[in-house]
Amino acid sequence: MNQDSPRIRMSVLGIVVFALFASLFARLWYLQVMNTDEYQVVAQSNRTREIPVEAPRGRILDRNGKVLVDNRISVQVTIDRTVLGELEDDERTDVLTRLADGLARSGVPTTVEQLETRVADQRYSPYVPVPVAGDVPEELKIWIDEHARDLPSVAADRVAVRRYPFGPLAAHVLGYTGKITKEEFDVLVEDTKPYTLNDEIGKAGIERVYEGDLRGQPGVTLLEVDTDGKTIREIPDGTTPPIPGDDVVLNLDIDVQAAAEQALQTSLVRASERPSNGYSAPNIGKVGSAVVLDPMSGGVVAMASAPTYSPADFVDGISDTEWSFLNDEANFYPLNNWALQGQYAPGSTFKPFTAWAALAAGLVTPETTVQDTGVFEVPNCAGDSCLFSNDRGKAYGRVDLRRSLTVSSDFYYYNLGARFWVEQDALGGPERFAELYRAWGFDAKTGIDLTGEQPGRIPSPEWLRSYCEQVHCNEGSNQWRTGNNVNMAIGQGDVLVTPLQLSAAYAAIANGGKVWEPHVAREIQDGVTHEVKRVIEPVERSTIEIAPEWRQAVIDGLVGVTTSEGGTAVGAFSGFPNDAFPVAAKTGTAQVNNKAPTAVFGAFGPAGAPAYSVSVLLEESGYGGSVAAPVARRLFDLLSGTVPLPQAPLGGQLGDIPELVGEGETVRD
Amino acid sequence: MTTTSFTTRSPVAPGALGRTSRNPAAPWRHIDLVLIGCVGAASALGCLMIFSATRGRDPSDFDTSFLSKQLLFVAIGFGAMLITAFFDYRRYRELAPMAYGVVILLLLMVVTGLGSERKGSQAWFQLGPFQLQPSELAKIVVIVTIASVITHFNSQLDARRLGVVLAVAGVPMALIMLQPDLGTTLVFVAVAMGMLLIGGAQVRHIVALTIVGIIGVTVVLNSGMLETYQQCRLTSFLETQNRDCEERGSAYNLDQAKVAIGSGSLLGTGLFEGTQTRLDIVPEQHTDFIFTALGEELGFVGSATLLSLLSIIAWRIWRTAQLARDPLGTLICVGVLSMVVFQVFENIGMTMGIMPITGIPLPFMSYGGSSTLTAFIAMGLVLNVHMRRFS
Repeated sequence: MNQDSPRIRMSVLGIVVFALFASLFARLWYLQVMNTDEYQVVAQSNRTREIPVEAPRGRILDRNGKVLVDNRISVQVTIDRTVLGELEDDERTDVLTRLADGLARSGVPTTVEQLETRVADQRYSPYVPVPVAGDVPEELKIWIDEHARDLPSVAADRVAVRRYPFGPLAAHVLGYTGKITKEEFDVLVEDTKPYTLNDEIGKAGIERVYEGDLRGQPGVTLLEVDTDGKTIREIPDGTTPPIPGDDVVLNLDIDVQAAAEQALQTSLVRASERPSNGYSAPNIGKVGSAVVLDPMSGGVVAMASAPTYSPADFVDGISDTEWSFLNDEANFYPLNNWALQGQYAPGSTFKPFTAWAALAAGLVTPETTVQDTGVFEVPNCAGDSCLFSNDRGKAYGRVDLRRSLTVSSDFYYYNLGARFWVEQDALGGPERFAELYRAWGFDAKTGIDLTGEQPGRIPSPEWLRSYCEQVHCNEGSNQWRTGNNVNMAIGQGDVLVTPLQLSAAYAAIANGGKVWEPHVAREIQDGVTHEVKRVIEPVERSTIEIAPEWRQAVIDGLVGVTTSEGGTAVGAFSGFPNDAFPVAAKTGTAQVNNKAPTAVFGAFGPAGAPAYSVSVLLEESGYGGSVAAPVARRLFDLLSGTVPLPQAPLGGQLGDIPELVGEGETVRD
Repeated sequence: MTTTSFTTRSPVAPGALGRTSRNPAAPWRHIDLVLIGCVGAASALGCLMIFSATRGRDPSDFDTSFLSKQLLFVAIGFGAMLITAFFDYRRYRELAPMAYGVVILLLLMVVTGLGSERKGSQAWFQLGPFQLQPSELAKIVVIVTIASVITHFNSQLDARRLGVVLAVAGVPMALIMLQPDLGTTLVFVAVAMGMLLIGGAQVRHIVALTIVGIIGVTVVLNSGMLETYQQCRLTSFLETQNRDCEERGSAYNLDQAKVAIGSGSLLGTGLFEGTQTRLDIVPEQHTDFIFTALGEELGFVGSATLLSLLSIIAWRIWRTAQLARDPLGTLICVGVLSMVVFQVFENIGMTMGIMPITGIPLPFMSYGGSSTLTAFIAMGLVLNVHMRRFS
């Protein structure tokens, strides 16, 4: 060791010490100056918990401001089966005994056995707490919260639940709400109105389509918590109050809706009680729909679908038995809105559109006449399948366009259908016929603001080709023939329309050619101030060129249906003030293989200044003129003011109408 | 270079005018006021942060018990420091063997069950309301003992003499390791290494010891000798994913410590305003993790101030080691320097995630009687060496 060694060693020590302090300074700078943002965020979340506060859901009102859906607060007691299952047997009994006592004290007499039964009830999903008592007093919630330690697995939650003042009325339009599903949650988790897994969400109808408006902006209560998660205080600055959702005002008139449901239901019941008119299959009379549109805007005034259901059953969660009932084919799927989910052959209600097609194609003028012999023979064809007859073979003699509509001459339209095929080269090709129908909005969803809509179908040679590529078609049916056109001309064959499309198309005849996108909602109002925040403007899907003389001829023919000698709905409109309120209408009786026919009716009125477009359809129920027309008659009685419109009853209990004018009359179609 | 001022001044006659007051070599003339000032400032800051970390959340009834006890400890520590400085440190060499024996005896008593167990460690004597931690006082005794042994060997450390020095350090280390108190054991390692370096150990011996030490740590970490919690605390700063450790919360400790310091930013949240501090989110905050309270509430400015105070203290000790009139003084200062710097680096380093988590108090800051007393006595030794550098 040389002389300098101690000095060098002291220097080494000094350098080490200096280096250590330097690294501490550097690290401190790194944490507190360079990376402080990151740590501040963590520090913030360390000490606070955000408790979402549910905002009241907006209301749904009818066009006159009547409340169709609003909210009430309900305290619901639940048991978490997972937590309960982890307890020892005696602990479990203690918890249930305490809860039963608490429930009994607050006026909900409950035994431990009842709780056990409810907890063991497999109808409830195993993944969410089982509701054991709904609508319990607020005091019970306080008691349960205070005794949370003694009542593991038990919770009392304040839930806003939907209230339906008119019970099941308009159920298919309003829709229902339910717990958000995992799939919905995954999509909406980043929504501006954030969801939690326990939230209710619109599942169908207006509730679903206007979810974004109806849902309130959840508030947040910011709590400062310690490391055990215990609340120290509420942080006022971080607390935002919930903002109630917006109200949706509908075009729907609940009084008209009630009348439509009542008339529809009555006619269905009566149809099911009658033998079918000469057809082999019996009337079923369970499924039907009625739609009332405003032809000047496409607003939905009423939309009835049978069978129906009660949206209130979904409040507090629907049980599995109720759910399977609603989804059982034997019950005709009450949740389905048949007005837009049902697809049917329209039968003779299709004829006005065939008439327009022929006029537009120049095949006929309103004055062109045809000799109706009762049986139409397809040109250049031989055999039984070449013969198409009128209903029960009735011959109407010489008919023009007006008369063909009034008496519903199939022959007249068979002829047009056949000519569209035979003369296709001159008329714009094989697809032209179908395209002329599609112009009215058939074969496409109308775009209504409701869920589940189906597009219907307008067949054509092109369609048949692609259809037969996917599905095996028999030799002979895989090729479009004259007969396909003949059938389509009277709304049979492969044509399918929804009752909603039908009423929208009749509205277009009524208003001179505007095909609207029907809409149920009219405007969105602020849930607190009731200021109008958004008006849902009518949307025109397309416009059809109808020469005034053509339109007049069609309307004359349709008015004749309800007023003229031989009109197919004259019976249903007997005694109706036709002069003051002429109704343009068309009956339809669509034949379905091995089933009673579909009764259809399309109408609008008053013919001169149309205010309502109505379609009525009853599955497997008989003649349009004797089953569907009386429903429309009832509605026009009320809409024209001939009979005072009764107020929709609160609770929605509707009795049968003693007698529908024209019901069950023997008619021809 | 002129030396006229010294040569022209006539020597003062002994006893002429108050002998001590005229003697420029008198110890009281060379008291290191900078060191005392820094120690005082650091201790004051410590008391403040201890109060912040322990006063609780009830504004009408703040808990002042920790604050008042720590104030008492600091007062006792100041007294002990002055007493330690008062007697010539060269006399401590003669006391060293006896003190060493007493300390070994105390440590033996502690580990054989006479002490009280706290937090899984047999390290304490209960003395009325206070706990005495012999391992803290052992640091001082071992520093003085090693210094006297090395000076006895005249800084000529061959392998045999080196063995003696290592044995002096090793016996208390082994006993402390049995408590178990890994952190304090490591302080002894730092002290021994620092003193051997300056005490004249041969470079190859130092290198060999370092290699043995590294191998030893590796073996200990992997042998299962340590409890899982110890292993977790030691390794969690490496940020490796270890499920066992996450469950045991040592990663949590470290994360929360970093969050508290990091969220302090430049100026801090303000005294008594730290949410991590107020909400007891950082465990052991008034003792081993006191730096997190400082970091959060007074920010970079406050933390850097403390680091500066501690740096100045280290610099004064290092300077004293160089100025000391004899190797004994140098070695004592080097021992104290090694102790203080290691504790500062380890303690603050662990709260900032650059060192393993071990239970070592931060000198002058952490709450605790024994550790405060030890730190002040150590400063007393340095003052002692400093003020007697001319006498």
